Amino acid sequence: MNLLQRIMQSKLGFLSLVLILLVLGLSIASEKFFTSANAIAILRQASLVLIVGVGMTFLLISAEVDISVGASLGFASCVVMDVVNQTNSLMLGAAAGIAFGAGVGLINAFVTNVLRVNSLIGTIAMMMMLQGGVFIFTREAVQNHHQLPHFSKIATGFFWGIPVPVIIAVAVALLGWLALSRTMLGRLFLATGANQKATRISGYSPERIKLIAFVATGALVGLSAVILASLLNAGQPTAGTGFELTVIAAVLLGGTSLMGGRGTVLGTILAVLILKIIDNGIILMRWNQDLQIIVPGVVLILALYIDQKKQGSSYA
Amino acid sequence: MLSKSDQVTTQQQIDFLKVTGLTKSFPGVVALDDVSLTVRSGEVLALLGENGAGKSTLIKLLAGVYAADKGLIEIGGTPHTFHSPSDALDAGIKVVFQEIALIPEFTVAENIFLETHLSKSFGRVPWKEIQDRAVDIFDRAGFALDPNSKVRDLPVSKQQLVEISRALAHDARVVIMDEPTSSLTPSEVANLFQVIGRLKSMGIAIIYVSHKLEEIFEISDKCVVLRDGKWISTKHTRDHTQGSLIKDMVGREIEDLFPRSERSLGPTMIDVSGLSTRARLRDISFNVRAGEVVGFFGLMGAGRTELAKAVVGYEPILSGSVKIDGHQLKPHSTSKSKALGIGLLTEDRKSEGLMPDISITHNMTLAALQNFRRRGFIDENDEAQKVGQFVERFRIKHSALSQPIKTLSGGNQQKVLLSRWLMFGLKVIVLDEPTRGIDVGAKAEIFALIDELAAAGLAVILMTSEMPELFGLSDRIYVLSEGQITAEIDGNNATQEEVLDAAIR
Repeated sequence: MNLLQRIMQSKLGFLSLVLILLVLGLSIASEKFFTSANAIAILRQASLVLIVGVGMTFLLISAEVDISVGASLGFASCVVMDVVNQTNSLMLGAAAGIAFGAGVGLINAFVTNVLRVNSLIGTIAMMMMLQGGVFIFTREAVQNHHQLPHFSKIATGFFWGIPVPVIIAVAVALLGWLALSRTMLGRLFLATGANQKATRISGYSPERIKLIAFVATGALVGLSAVILASLLNAGQPTAGTGFELTVIAAVLLGGTSLMGGRGTVLGTILAVLILKIIDNGIILMRWNQDLQIIVPGVVLILALYIDQKKQGSSYA
Repeated sequence: MLSKSDQVTTQQQIDFLKVTGLTKSFPGVVALDDVSLTVRSGEVLALLGENGAGKSTLIKLLAGVYAADKGLIEIGGTPHTFHSPSDALDAGIKVVFQEIALIPEFTVAENIFLETHLSKSFGRVPWKEIQDRAVDIFDRAGFALDPNSKVRDLPVSKQQLVEISRALAHDARVVIMDEPTSSLTPSEVANLFQVIGRLKSMGIAIIYVSHKLEEIFEISDKCVVLRDGKWISTKHTRDHTQGSLIKDMVGREIEDLFPRSERSLGPTMIDVSGLSTRARLRDISFNVRAGEVVGFFGLMGAGRTELAKAVVGYEPILSGSVKIDGHQLKPHSTSKSKALGIGLLTEDRKSEGLMPDISITHNMTLAALQNFRRRGFIDENDEAQKVGQFVERFRIKHSALSQPIKTLSGGNQQKVLLSRWLMFGLKVIVLDEPTRGIDVGAKAEIFALIDELAAAGLAVILMTSEMPELFGLSDRIYVLSEGQITAEIDGNNATQEEVLDAAIR
């Protein structure tokens, strides 16, 4: 087997190869691409998707899914803004956003574990409730009334020359990677997705493991909402529309199985970068902006098709 | 239709089905290598071998599912080439597969004449004729079947009779039965053997595939043993002993299938009293001491698996108590039961035991993960080392510890799942049909292992429907019938009659 074949055979190798080719191709096609300003823009864009993507990786690996993350993101951003307005405290606002997201995760877990509603259906229902509920909470976008100077720095500030959201995303990804690949909890996410009955017989509660995945995803949505509110300088009820699809597409593209039992945080990281670079490329090339939605769809189908073919050949 | 059988010539009688030099390769493996055999009319030929020996390939070649690469199939002296299962059926060979291939929504008679009436009378189905012909077949073969009942409503044993009737309707001269008794109760097995006797007297040749050696000795005239796709031996069954058959199948002598080391009994490790469940179990009380193997026998539906799952906290209970080493199992959950030191080796390896796509290592350490935790992280070196020890100790055949467990043989998979609990360290282990779907060679190893575990002071609960296993391993026997314990018998003095009698009580 030569080197190229070996790279193609490994999922992470394949994704890295695609990423490198994209970067090379766009660097040649547009001189604006390989600049630090553009790199920062891409990474900043990628950070929200990556933060929630880590939680979604846990969920999909445990053979569950959360469709409500987009609706929850918009709602939580309003909560963050509202609480900061009322308390003039950044910490309380952030805490409220994260608690809101985690609370949504907790309810999702309850619906899945206790009411035994399939999580695909249960979280679509949650999405609907949040989309409607946010307009009961606030008729329109929650504007910035507090004028805390540090608030906008969360999204636009730099630390050692790196955007703050990127630092947060890298920290989340690092923790997620460690948790999944080096801890007992990570093994149990995989085990639950691979064979829930075997996991129970081995003395664990799959329900508890899924609860952790749901709540972690929810809390990460809350964290993203803090960044989003800072970025928009407002709580925007509809800000998360379509966000869930981007996140799930990235996680699947990264090689996590929809059936559970298989997946890596590293794959999710690479896939988020690929999707965001494609996005960026479409803008730089001045192509039709609608392609920003079309292309990821095509990429996703292609990636899963290639994966199917590889699987078929290796363990026939 | 069967009048032909009365007039078979002597030559045909001698070798009705003759297979010469049959060979079949699949990419990377020779599944069947130059195998020859003959079956006479009215003879039962037992086809034996471990998993992967080539039995199913041979059957599928005879059934026309695969085409042979080389070799000759002769029936009554005429060479045949099969391109499809219907070719084989036309030539007189009918296979009754383990997975019965009937249409559940159709009636018995419709199933029997499925191919015949669909091809011969477009649109109009001659219901009356079909029924009459079905009844005619049942009369001749002595089957108690109603042509108008739906197949869906019949037990497996009756569905087998429908399959055999299909063979008779097609004038089949060779009937191949693939593990026909794997899901039958003892009385159904006895019934099937009577049916086989009748088929013999009709001059039909039978190829009988089974793992159960007692059955082979009871029913067959001749044994053909395959190993690794090659022919090993052909002998009259009366010239074989259990030992010689196993030796041919496994390729080495197995001294003693059921070794019994000196077991010294310790204190009571599990004490179950008055346990009932919603579904079936009623007022079950029993106990097992350290170093003791206690066997539970019961027919299908007696509640063995349910009991196994109830005592480890997997299935909820209605009333009663389970005490492990003096501690009450409460709450009734698997995490609690594991903490108290009891674990279950499931009978359904595939759906409740294995994580098929995941590595041997991760499968083996699933239950014992906490043993490898160092400051919150898993110590993978320690893990790999422990896995290596178990792989060596149990001689688990593998190419890499990172290979998905689904690529191992059933016996090796079972050893990995057993290691899962031994690595954790238990006081009581519940084994539910521990040798289901496992080769004789691996069976012997697992029996030896069970003995070793008991000798080391583990309390072993063995759920089994296999008599030899029950008698070979148990110090004490409980018999289950319809969710209740109907007898407690000393394992050394138990008789088959006694156990069976209690099982149908």
